[in-house]
Amino acid sequence: MYRYDEFDAQIVKERVDQFRGQVERRLSGEILEDEFKPLRLQNGVYLQLHAYMLRVAIPYGQLNAARMRKLAKIARDYDRGYGHMTTRQNIQYNWVALKDTPDVLEELAEVEMHAIQTSGNCIRNVTSDHFAGATQDEIMDPRPWCEIIRQWSTFHPEFAFLPRKFKIAVTAAEHDRAAIRVHDIGLHMRERDGVVGFEVHVGGGQGRTPIIAAMVNEFVPETEILDYLEAIMRVYNRFGRRDNKYKARIKILVTETGPEEFTRLVEEEYAAQQTSEKIALPQVEIDRINAYFAPPAFEDKSATSDAFERAKTADPAFANWAKINLHPHKVPGYTSVTTSLKPIGGLAGDATDSQMMVMAHLAERYGFDDIRVTHAQNVVLPHIALDDLYEVYRELAAAGLATANESLITDMIVCPGLDYCNLANARSIPVGQEIQKVFEDPAYEQDIGKLHINISGCINACGHHHVGHIGILGVDRKGEEYYQISLGGRADEKAAVGQIIGKALRHEEVPGAVKTIVDTYRDLRTSADEKFIDAVERVGVEPFQEAIYATD
Amino acid sequence: MTSVRPKLKPETPKTVTAWETASGNVVWLRADLTWTQDASEIGVFTGDDAEAALEKAKSQEGEITDPYFMEVTEDGKVAGRETLRESIRANGPTVPFGVII
Repeated sequence: MYRYDEFDAQIVKERVDQFRGQVERRLSGEILEDEFKPLRLQNGVYLQLHAYMLRVAIPYGQLNAARMRKLAKIARDYDRGYGHMTTRQNIQYNWVALKDTPDVLEELAEVEMHAIQTSGNCIRNVTSDHFAGATQDEIMDPRPWCEIIRQWSTFHPEFAFLPRKFKIAVTAAEHDRAAIRVHDIGLHMRERDGVVGFEVHVGGGQGRTPIIAAMVNEFVPETEILDYLEAIMRVYNRFGRRDNKYKARIKILVTETGPEEFTRLVEEEYAAQQTSEKIALPQVEIDRINAYFAPPAFEDKSATSDAFERAKTADPAFANWAKINLHPHKVPGYTSVTTSLKPIGGLAGDATDSQMMVMAHLAERYGFDDIRVTHAQNVVLPHIALDDLYEVYRELAAAGLATANESLITDMIVCPGLDYCNLANARSIPVGQEIQKVFEDPAYEQDIGKLHINISGCINACGHHHVGHIGILGVDRKGEEYYQISLGGRADEKAAVGQIIGKALRHEEVPGAVKTIVDTYRDLRTSADEKFIDAVERVGVEPFQEAIYATD
Repeated sequence: MTSVRPKLKPETPKTVTAWETASGNVVWLRADLTWTQDASEIGVFTGDDAEAALEKAKSQEGEITDPYFMEVTEDGKVAGRETLRESIRANGPTVPFGVII
């Protein structure tokens, strides 16, 4: 877990004091919205449909119990008793009053958190694999480098006014759970001849122009990665378009320039860096940050647990949940638990203050004080002993946090949509809830297997619809909500942009259309082992188009 | 301004809406040009009166934020192209929130 040093603490405190003064001047009418807006956005404060929204940074999604309890307290004291986990592994509060925001930021600073760089044309929260440091399939823990990149990018004076916002993701696992290929920069940690380095992908993104990132360098050693990132950022800062907001992301620059030429420009910039401007990160500093992420004191345990096996036999609901919501841990006798924030009929990604308190308690009591927010809007307890799992499950279940649906069809990514968002054209949350109802029978859902539905309420794609196995995009047709469906998108190591399958459907047609797609898949799959996304890639979208539109 | 705001003809009944700066609550102008958080008290304006109401609102940008015209019926109900958006804005999210399922 990261820690603030005395300088970090001082800077964040001064930033809160500065913002308090800015809010006071706004409330007194001394400054007006046009002047105030960039100031509030630099502190994570948006003005949404109903109210101000505060986005709080959770570095690479990692929390501990104290921080989670603080988030719960803020939800209770300043909001309406809940918060919303985002696809950037952050949390948003939907109802914070502007006059209270300095107090909220002051409370966050008490637990080494802030809302800086959660908005604006700067480098945003670095995201990562939510199983980092726990999963069997990683070559190392990526979090130390996430933290180094976070420290490098925070308040970096050269990159405070980029052409557009900028998002970086890092993974060290072969299976990409951090969606690195749809990021401005995606870093995949690799090891070559004993040297740690990064495979560098640039120019991915979603929004109105979805693009899969190009690989610009197969291997940049870790000692050079910050300089290499600076080279990329400088090329973007210099050549990225500022004349058109919709063409300002680095993905447009990479596409218009061509990946080869873009790479050449980066290499040229990198080669031109003077020795004096190289970031010579002292080993002692790397060691210090590595120490923050040292593995917890795991006990020597057997790979199996009698208590776990007995509980599964005694409680079928637990056995079912354990089959779906656990991820293999690198240490025998432990597992990573996905706490679903997607109950049937609930609000995807929302957690109440009391639920946050339960997760904090469980992390502290059973989970080495470690909590992760996932980019799929769930929460993970990464280090739970199998021996303790049944206790953890029972407390989660009592709090409404034990829906057995991780990566199944009811575990959707859903943006706030028109229920909250000022940019949205259509609602997302009710559509997700209505689809969940269709698939609420666990046997049916589990027969379908892994399937990601992602829903966005507008083309900005906060719900990642482009990379959903089934993507749903809300559009506005003369004041009415319609939804465009795409198939075949994926955000993992085989990242692809989904293909739109036909004309947009009316709101009430969407759940039935999704059921038609799913039942078509069940009919044509080669076996129960062929996943939905694999079937779509094998047969293409035509059978699904035909099933939905044939009667037109 | 972030949301889509269609241009309204002078004769189209409209009100002025904004956000209260301190709280972020949605507000509308009453007929007497004072602000209300109660959508049943919406004032209806047309023509020069509407323009004057908007100008008055803009002059109060300490108290309120980002005022704009919103189409309404003659009796002050949300109307027009942005009915869904403005209805949600007036009544809150269409889904229950902050509850444990």
